[in-house]
Order: sequence, then structure tokens, then C-alpha cells
Amino acid sequence: MTPDMRVKIGSLELANPVGLASGTFGYGSEYEELVDIDTLGALFTKAVTLAPRSGNATPRIVETPSGMLNSIGLANPGVDAFIADKLPALRAMRCAVFVNVAGATEEEYLEVVERLETAGGIDGYEINVSCPNVRHGGLAFGTDPAQVERLTRSLRDRTRCPLVVKLTPNVTDIATIAKAAETGGADAVSCVNTLVGMVIDVRRRRPALAMGTGGLSGPAIRPVGVACCFKASRAVRIPVIGIGGITCADDALQYLLAGAIAVQVGTGTFVDPRCAHMVLSGIELWMQEQGIAKVGDIAGLLEV
Amino acid sequence: MKQFDAEILENRAVADSWRELVLSWDKAAPEPLPGQFLTLRVSQFSDPLLRRPFAFSGFQRAVGAEPARASVVYQVRGGATRLLFQLAPGSRVDTLAPLGSCFPQPVPGETAVLAGGGIGLGPLLFLADTLSAADELPTEGPPPLFVFGVRGAALLPAIALPPGTALCTDDGSSGFHGTVVDYLARNAPPPPKGGRLHLYGCGPGPMLAALAALAADRGWAASLSAEQWMACGVGACMGCALPRADGKGYLRACTDGPVFEAADIDWSGRS
Repeated sequence: MTPDMRVKIGSLELANPVGLASGTFGYGSEYEELVDIDTLGALFTKAVTLAPRSGNATPRIVETPSGMLNSIGLANPGVDAFIADKLPALRAMRCAVFVNVAGATEEEYLEVVERLETAGGIDGYEINVSCPNVRHGGLAFGTDPAQVERLTRSLRDRTRCPLVVKLTPNVTDIATIAKAAETGGADAVSCVNTLVGMVIDVRRRRPALAMGTGGLSGPAIRPVGVACCFKASRAVRIPVIGIGGITCADDALQYLLAGAIAVQVGTGTFVDPRCAHMVLSGIELWMQEQGIAKVGDIAGLLEV
Repeated sequence: MKQFDAEILENRAVADSWRELVLSWDKAAPEPLPGQFLTLRVSQFSDPLLRRPFAFSGFQRAVGAEPARASVVYQVRGGATRLLFQLAPGSRVDTLAPLGSCFPQPVPGETAVLAGGGIGLGPLLFLADTLSAADELPTEGPPPLFVFGVRGAALLPAIALPPGTALCTDDGSSGFHGTVVDYLARNAPPPPKGGRLHLYGCGPGPMLAALAALAADRGWAASLSAEQWMACGVGACMGCALPRADGKGYLRACTDGPVFEAADIDWSGRS
């Protein structure tokens, strides 16, 4: 029997629970020669801001044990160029497309979403209140429950599309932030964004990254992400999307068992562009072996 | 670009820590061009995690039953290249290729000058191969000049260098005493009548910065291949950015490059 892989985020039904994480798949075209994006559940675009951003000084990335640090700095062409140049191809995709939205101020987030609403053809938004690599906005929003709730509420007033709030693990209690997003009207939370980290080149006695610190991703952070999903999913009624170090189906299943209803593959795509597809087929195989009919049922199967 | 499991045909030492890797080439993958690169996943585990980029040092089309093969020259200097070193002929490696931009061919009236520093030799060997193979070469006049530099004679690789290569060593232990840049500053051939030199370079960051400055000073065309840390290799992550010379943001080493017109990049931060 083919398992039922469909999941719902707000009013939107995804064909399956495997998505591509923001910042790791560009706007879809970069990998199109290599993989068929249409068979996945969702694409979460690289962050879009109001004005174009050229990004941070270089070097921007460095490898770490079972992970990597990045400090890209939300490099993107800005919302108007995104609408003109990227959105047409994204609209043609069969998988759901969530536009990841970032801003330095609340007004900036609102303006980006308003322009995207006017443009239309977007399945949902992922609100990035958790980027560790920008001076303003980003983490400053995501670590304060009152700001998360207010921003989410303001955005909720401006769109009927599913709103996913992407949470940072750089907080004392992620459950509090998840609840704030839910209270503000979010349809889901995704967790986690990267952890703040630093690598120092001891020979040159300076940080490996030009900006000093960066965001840690990859298998190194998976246990942190799983624990955050476990806590967040028990604190809210809205769906939780698991992100952090997923490289295979077993990794994704940890998130699903922890309480997530969907997952995103990020750094794993850099390692193998086929990663998300292998995750998806592996989850299906596991469900068949375990006799589980619906992917949405996995969340209730954890024995603690 | 295509992702395929390549068979390792050779993985041989060519100098103290340098090796040449020869891979079988997937028929469905486009043929690589000089300056382009591949990425390899050297471990099935999570450490080292990221794929590693290597510039092509050569490519041979299939001949009869012999499959097409591509080669890279690499230096064993960290965990990933130590794992690569251990891959024996007959084993397979996850390959993504060909990636990035290539060296532009010299246009009529240009004399090619190929300058390689250290492990930057690889892509220039490939370019030299294609220039010498091209009977229909548009340039008239002097043949390409090949200049290659290493720290000392002990590092000279057991690789056939193009005939007439000007060899440079930092310590003077063989050939010209000094760097490739020193050599070119003193011994660059005069431009062909009515034409100009076209410098092709690959090597350490400071060498590229010096080559860019020299080319600008002498009015040469210059195409330089940059190296930068990369995560995806296909233009998605924006990690391998290099600052533009005009101050208007950044270019990606993986898809805008790795070969850039020297005047397009601010090389001052390369170290």
C-alpha cells in the first residue's frame, strides 16, 4: 500500500512533507538540471528583503566538524527584482513555494509581503526572524516573544496565505517563541535556523569568517533541532516543520517522531543534490515497513 | 552539469604532497573546458561534510573502447584530500561536473601567456593542451608562453610541462630565482604587432592580486581563476562570493567564475 504522504500547513496541502530549506536552494533554478523539484513537498526560497542586499564581506563560509558556518548576510536581489525575475518560474513549479521574507524593521517585513501579495501566485510565506548574520532585524526579532507575536499579527492582517515563522535555536526557551508565533496567528513554525558559531584561524589569529561569527548548520546541529522541535510541538497546536542537519530518511524521521509534521533539507543538498528525494523515498519505505498509513500519524508514535 | 559516480582510473603521486587523479567521464555529462571544475564527495559520512572543488587539469575524449577521462591535480593538505588520497583505482566517487566558467580563447592578435603558481598549475595545463591542439588557432605569431612557479625544486611535479616552460622557484633552487610575477615583470614578451598579450593565471591569492596589477599596468588582457571556499558549487548558497572591483557587491566563484576578467574582481583581499 502506498502511504499517504500529504500534510497540511494552514489551508495549504503539500503533496509530501519534504521541503528544501531557505538559503540552500536559491530560487529553484540553480539545481533544476540535477533534480526534479516538482516531486517534493515545498521549496522555501532564499530570503527576500525590500531592497537588494549584496551580502556580507568574504570569506562567508567555513567547514566545521560535521557542519558548516555561513555568514552570507541575506544576499538577494530585493523584492521587486524577485517578483520580476524569479517569481514567474517559481509560480510554474508544481511543489508549494514559500517565499522566505526577511527585514531589518517590522515595516520592511510588511512592505515585502504586501508587494508579494500584490504580485500574487505565492503559496505561502516563511517569516525569517532568526537570521544570525545581519545587524538589524533577524535574531533581534526572533529572540523576543512580544516582537514575534506583534510582527506575526501584523503580517496575518495582510495575507490569507499560510504563514510559517522560522525560529532560532539561540534562545533559552523556544517553546515561548513558538507560542508567541501561534498567538500572533502563524499557521506553522519552522525550527531551527542556524546556531551562532565561530571558528578562529589560529595561525592568522583572526576569525575564519570576515564577519567574525556565522550560523552553524549541518549534521552537527541535528540533536539541537530535534530537541527544539520536540519542545515546540508540545507547546503549540499549529504544525511544526523540522530543520537542522537532515541528510537521510532516518534523520528526518527523528524530527517527525519528535513532533514535526514536515521537514526541510538544507545543508544536506550541498553535500548531495539528491538528498531531499532520498529522504522522501526513505520515509515512504520506513512507513511501509512499519505499517503506517499516513505520514501525519508519525508524530504520535514517539514513546517517551 | 551532471552528477555521476566516476570510477577512479589513477590516483598517483606527482610531487611531495601533490597527486594527479584521473576519473572516468560519464557519457551524458558535457565535456569540461579549461578553467571549469568538478566537485567530489570524498566521504560517505558527515566529516568532512562538504563536497570539494577541483579544477580540471586535462580531459581526453573516448578512444575506441577506452572511456573518456578527466583529470585533476590536487594537494594533500587537509582531511578531505587525505581521504581522496586513499581512494584506490577501481573505486568510485560521487562527482558533480562540469561547473563554472572557462578560460576564454585568445582572440586574433593576442599572444597567450599562461602563468601557474603552485597547485594552480592544473587548469593551465589543460588550457595549454587545448591551445596546442587547436590547429585552427586564431592567433598568429608567437606560441603561448607557459610560466610555472613553485617554492623550491623539491616541489616540482612529475608532470609533463609544455615545451619551453619558464620555470620559477622562490628559493632559486631551479630555473628563474623568483616568483612567476617577478618573471613576467622582467621577461614578458613584447605584444604582437597591433595586438596584445592575454594573461591566463591561476595560483595563490597574492599571486592573482599581483598578476591583476601587472596586467592592468601593462595593458594586457587577463583572465584569472580564483579559489574560494564553496558549499554548493552551483550558485545557490552565495558562500563563495568575491568582491567586485567596482564596489557593487559580489560575484560567485562557482557560477560567475571561477575564471574572471582580472579587472572585474577586487583582488586586494586575497590572502
